[in-house]
Amino acid sequence: MTAAEDWLLDPSLAPSTGGRLAPLYAGAAEGRLTLPFCAACDLPLELEQQVCDGCGRDDVAWRDVAAEGTVHTVTVVHRRETGLVRAEDPYPVADVELTSGHRLLMAGRRPSAPPAIGTPVTVSFRFLGGVAVPAYDAAVPASGPPTPLPQESPR
Amino acid sequence: MSPAALVGLGLTEMSPRPGGDATELAVAALGAALDDAGLARADVDGLVVGSSQGVRPDRVGVALARQAGLGDLRLLEHVEIKGATTLAMVDRAVRAVGEGSARTVVCVFADAPLRAGGSAGSTYAKSGGTSGVRGLERASGLLGSVPTYALLAARWLHVTGGSAADLCAVAVSARAWAVDNPAAVQRTPLDAEAYFASPVIAEPLRRLDCARPVNGAAAVVVTADPGIGRAPRVVVRGSGAVHPMRRRRAGAESWFGGGRRAVDDALAAAGMVRADLDVLELYDPFSVVTLHLLEEYGFCPAGKVGPLVRDGAIAPGGTLPVNTGGGQLSGFYLQGMTPLVEALVQLRGDGGGRQVPSARTALVGGIGGRLDHHASLVLEAA
Repeated sequence: MTAAEDWLLDPSLAPSTGGRLAPLYAGAAEGRLTLPFCAACDLPLELEQQVCDGCGRDDVAWRDVAAEGTVHTVTVVHRRETGLVRAEDPYPVADVELTSGHRLLMAGRRPSAPPAIGTPVTVSFRFLGGVAVPAYDAAVPASGPPTPLPQESPR
Repeated sequence: MSPAALVGLGLTEMSPRPGGDATELAVAALGAALDDAGLARADVDGLVVGSSQGVRPDRVGVALARQAGLGDLRLLEHVEIKGATTLAMVDRAVRAVGEGSARTVVCVFADAPLRAGGSAGSTYAKSGGTSGVRGLERASGLLGSVPTYALLAARWLHVTGGSAADLCAVAVSARAWAVDNPAAVQRTPLDAEAYFASPVIAEPLRRLDCARPVNGAAAVVVTADPGIGRAPRVVVRGSGAVHPMRRRRAGAESWFGGGRRAVDDALAAAGMVRADLDVLELYDPFSVVTLHLLEEYGFCPAGKVGPLVRDGAIAPGGTLPVNTGGGQLSGFYLQGMTPLVEALVQLRGDGGGRQVPSARTALVGGIGGRLDHHASLVLEAA
């Protein structure tokens, strides 16, 4: 599988990289996880939030954050829409609480068993139609190469 | 003037197959509601229209007034607050007739998600686009609404210590009610074994945890004039709504909490308490929502809804009748009209084999988005 070919979805689902989320995609294209904060009080903001709910300022600052978090909730999607889903098996999607304070939905970077709620994960990227989107990796040493499943084990 | 009341109800067939567009369904439901109330088109001076959000080939709007052959109107609005739309429509009508800005208002909701050549699931999976947060979610594999609610369901089971048996109990209870509802899409009796044989859509939700989409429409007539409409009248005693702004942040729950006030306010306006309610009709697009709302709305202590539903409390013959027509799970998914219609059926005594004996009061609950919008009505048979 090449970097340009996603294991999970059809490239027609590649997200539009403009608009409010443009800084996220620009960072992701360079391998950085970039998320919005209130420039005044540093509160982590939701991705499309324009005014801080904490202090009321409308100054949003995107900056790089640590690519790590824990699983808030997770599902394994069995329904695979023909033409949209390439994976031939049910696939997990996790909603991750990042250490930066944000919550971010993501699929796995590669096929894997679902991480349990509360499990630490790291964040890297999938490439969908040439667009980098955040993807989780089950917590393994960051220096470790991807290992094929289901034999994966921490070392 | 007397208190605002619902004096007419009109339904189309609730069809699980393609056929009919939203406009023709809306026209038919409107006509049926007027017939039911004994009114002519010329008697109507208000129309409130609701339609489904999302990609639809045809959505009803304020043009329905012309299409349905109505005359001059004093109130004409299209209301949109996701799944809470229907209750907001009725609330709008109640306020209009109460302040005298209209005398006889029809509220119509129509939806036609089923099209030839594709399942409803396919229609939803292909909806949502590629931009903004939804575009990123879809690029992460969240296609359609089921996986989103599956994430919510998994979280709910995690924080409450619940299990798949709780989801099963909701689905089985809903089906038991639907058996005696001629309008229900799924009427075959269901047991736990059949539930667990149902295919998983997105863990922990199975097909039988999900609403049954239909093409259909429903309309109700609202007036405060005691000379308009025919018995039985169902009085709107109170309404409430709340839109909690829960944030998606680490360390917080983003789906649960903040909804109870919608029910507290409606009960306070009605001068009632929870024990005064004979039936609960709740918006139940997924089984987990019934579990959650029973706790959220204060009908069950926190953490106790699992044992409650597993004991059969919400099923026919139980102590807390909930979604007495099968709800959206086994009845039909016409968004907020599903619980409203069933409340009217029960309070008019038209429930047939599923009639709750001497039901005189009902709570109707509506939720929208991802439990972002809560609305409720307290209704009483006049």
